[in-house]
Amino acid sequence: MSYLNPLRLHFAGQFQASVSTVNNDPDHYNNATFKPNYQQPGNANGWWNPRGDGAWRLIGCHVTSAFMADGSAVGQADQIRMSLIADSDSKTSAKLVDLDPEQQLVSQIWGMEVRITDSAGNALVRGCYEPVGFMDIWKRIQQGQGDLTAGAMYQSVLTNLEWGDISASPFLQALKQAADDGLLSIKFNVESYSMASNKPNFTRGRIVGTIGPASATEPRHFVAGRQLLTTTNVQLGFFQPVQQINFCVAVVDQQRGKVYLDLGNALPISTSGGPPAPLGDLQLICIVDPIFRNEQMLIGSIPQATYTNPAWYPQTAGIIELPADRALSQDDLSSIASNPLWLRIASQSNKQIPAVAEHASGLYIRADQFVLRLNPDEQAQAQLYATQFGQPYPNAQVLAISDPSQLQQAPNTSPSAISFPAFITTNEQGIAELPIATSDPGSQRDFIDGQVYGIRVHLTDMLFIPSGNIFSVFNPANFISLLVWEAFEPAEPLTWWGTTDQNSIQSIFQQYANLYPVMQDFLDLSDYQSVRENIFLLQLAFGLDPSDPNSMPVTRDLSFAKRQAILRWMNDPQEGTPRPRAAPPQAIPSVLSAETPDSAAAPDKAASRGGKEAALNRRRSVRFSRHS
Amino acid sequence: MTIDSQLSLLKQTQVGGPKKPLQVSRDIIKKLAQGDKDSVLSAIQDAIKLEHSTIPPYLYALYSLDETKNAGIADIIQSVVVEEMLHMTLACNILNALGGTPDIDTPSFIPTYPGTLPGIEPPNPNWKVDLKPCSKDVVQSVFMQIEMPEKPHDFPVKPQAVLGAEEAEELPRTIGAFYQLLEAQIKNLGEGAFVSPPRNQVGPDIMFESVVVSDFASAQQAIGIIIDQGEGTDPDPFDEEGAPAHYYRYAEIIKGQKLGKIPGNPPTYAYNGDPVTLDTSGVWKVAPDRKGDNQAVLTFNYTYTSLLKTLHAFFNGQNTSQQFNTALGLMMSLKQQAMEMMSTLGVGPSFEYQPTNPGINSGG
Repeated sequence: MSYLNPLRLHFAGQFQASVSTVNNDPDHYNNATFKPNYQQPGNANGWWNPRGDGAWRLIGCHVTSAFMADGSAVGQADQIRMSLIADSDSKTSAKLVDLDPEQQLVSQIWGMEVRITDSAGNALVRGCYEPVGFMDIWKRIQQGQGDLTAGAMYQSVLTNLEWGDISASPFLQALKQAADDGLLSIKFNVESYSMASNKPNFTRGRIVGTIGPASATEPRHFVAGRQLLTTTNVQLGFFQPVQQINFCVAVVDQQRGKVYLDLGNALPISTSGGPPAPLGDLQLICIVDPIFRNEQMLIGSIPQATYTNPAWYPQTAGIIELPADRALSQDDLSSIASNPLWLRIASQSNKQIPAVAEHASGLYIRADQFVLRLNPDEQAQAQLYATQFGQPYPNAQVLAISDPSQLQQAPNTSPSAISFPAFITTNEQGIAELPIATSDPGSQRDFIDGQVYGIRVHLTDMLFIPSGNIFSVFNPANFISLLVWEAFEPAEPLTWWGTTDQNSIQSIFQQYANLYPVMQDFLDLSDYQSVRENIFLLQLAFGLDPSDPNSMPVTRDLSFAKRQAILRWMNDPQEGTPRPRAAPPQAIPSVLSAETPDSAAAPDKAASRGGKEAALNRRRSVRFSRHS
Repeated sequence: MTIDSQLSLLKQTQVGGPKKPLQVSRDIIKKLAQGDKDSVLSAIQDAIKLEHSTIPPYLYALYSLDETKNAGIADIIQSVVVEEMLHMTLACNILNALGGTPDIDTPSFIPTYPGTLPGIEPPNPNWKVDLKPCSKDVVQSVFMQIEMPEKPHDFPVKPQAVLGAEEAEELPRTIGAFYQLLEAQIKNLGEGAFVSPPRNQVGPDIMFESVVVSDFASAQQAIGIIIDQGEGTDPDPFDEEGAPAHYYRYAEIIKGQKLGKIPGNPPTYAYNGDPVTLDTSGVWKVAPDRKGDNQAVLTFNYTYTSLLKTLHAFFNGQNTSQQFNTALGLMMSLKQQAMEMMSTLGVGPSFEYQPTNPGINSGG
């Protein structure tokens, strides 16, 4: 069970993501060449939000609709109708965190508490949002260029649920009962972001999502359901699905004879903040017996007039129940259970072309948590779920391969610091644990700690079956990103200055001072005296678990060894012998501006250079294709 | 320090500034004079509210400073704010020790700005406390008025407890006098009024210089700290840690120099120390935005309200260092949000009670 079920609420509002952009440029991590103008906005090189603090907030989010388990809308008197979706009223804001300057495409939300409240802000239920990165980022908004056009989705669970007085909401009572594993499923879509510092919406965008019950046996960060897939012909910039509709998922409800289709991150939008673009009527069909009969069984239609209505997307979060007017028959359900689903654009004259389609095999595999931070000589398990037509796919062989193509870096020849078996097998529940071992990557990247890696998994059964539709399927985002930190030996005795830039506390703090000018509101992180004066607060912040929104560093990119050294030093903060720092050389152009290919003439070109689109254009896959 | 040298210091400090200390309202003094337990508990809640009420104006002035230019001024204001928070904590400890419950998480806890402070008679009809960027005028006419002590020879004798209505009319009504009366009334309630074991106390292990209150002696100690650091009615402008009372600390900004002790028999005091300079080019001269249409201000107010909720829980049983750290994190967030909006958006926070964070373009 997940949010994609009848018992659910939808909400809409704004999110704020006030990320710092000085750290979007990998070269800014180099203390030796850092220049003060890198902290200035725009082309001076701080990009569009140099004083960002990484805050992630929910703003003005309210419940737009809610449904009971039988599919009916909640009663008029149900308090959920007037409820709000809020973040914490007792903690600092959550933080949005990139894994690494060379992997900026899996930004995670850390330290968020989500509350359903009454209209006065009193919590009806609160829970801790499990950190997760966004998925399925794509060029969602048709008009405009660069990061402003992006959309993505986040799916996770709320844990440690605390229920308040829900006596005025039968919906919440039903939700509490259904959430007997103590988990709620929450999924939201984000888009229409503003990077214009002179506009009132600066650093904010639209968020539309769903909350429902979650089962402990199901994946937390995607739906174990009918995966509708696509691919792209465009190498540069954001993912552009070949038939305009993006990856999405459906769940078949045998009991009610319905299919729940989540188009929340799948329909393109014409203009920022607007309704989905008119693509014509959409049809959800099942390809019955694709090899011999190849019959297209219509499950239901979604009229264009429905989904282009401005009220539709906030009210439904893009989730549609089909067929609208009847329950599927047992025969229908039987066909659907073992044949691929397609979503078609009705006006597409060639009936063999879907917009998005389930693989002919019905197979799908994904890591649930797909972002890992590891210390050297550590072990981790990546939990993989395999499904076939939405059901667990047991005893299946999984192929795991190293895939750095989506990481935003130049190829390198250093030996890998991760090792994992090439083959593992799913258990009776379709779950496989991929064991990953790490070694010390050393200082491969000089001024950026450690190294980033990618692992992509495939079901070998799927590799030899054609997709069954006219395009192959490939989701660039469906892989595991790993950051492996390098070993760190502080100078002994442990002092601020250490004996080299590689063993000093000062170097670590200097980098943070460079990359996060907002810290100047509190102290000068690069200055021993200033750090001494604020040692109590720093000890507090550096000693917190990363799940705490006050944890420092906000970027959560500090290895265990460095953190321990910092905490040990702060217990007895000796200065040591100052070492002269090399004067920064004459102004050099940022490597970033040299590398980024000129996108089509765009008014906010400067803004785009420091953002996600620019990062995408630094992917290995893109470099390879450009140089070939 | 003798009365004469104290009076001399007060006189030189008063030049150009307010002449008389603030008066607590007659109603509050009369109620406290009744001396029954409910009246005493109600008076302590008033004290908590009063101690908090100075914090937003002080913080607003603090946030308005570019600390690269006004670090010294920022240090002075910050040190006063930290002590006001301690006073609020001590008052909560006293209230809890007597079985009361501090009420912090409510809209009425925050005073209306501009306005007078809660329970305080304005010295003249035009005197208002508002959220204003730092300036000598604000420091002298508002902050120093708030913190002004009695003249030493005017200092009242400790009153007897439980006075009749007529006698209550005659009572002095300065803030210092209010606390003196409070102390007398608590003593009069007797040791039996205190809850045992100590209840919901925030001790010095969590907040520096705090006092766990569990009997009259500790309540007296707590009140002593409030008076000593704040009003400075103790015959010495410097408190036990060597910092001047708030009034004289703010005066350093006006006089342009640190307060120093001139050796002698007896010693005297003058503003003869290191320079204290307010660089007016290092102040973001912005007004609080009360229109409700600025998202940064709305987010600030939501964070501030979250802080009040956190403090309410902190003083009502969640008296842990973890809870304190959570509050500290919120305070840091407030500082950062305020400084960023004041320096880049040209507006200041309005410190309003706001339990939700609505969007300004709501309907999304």
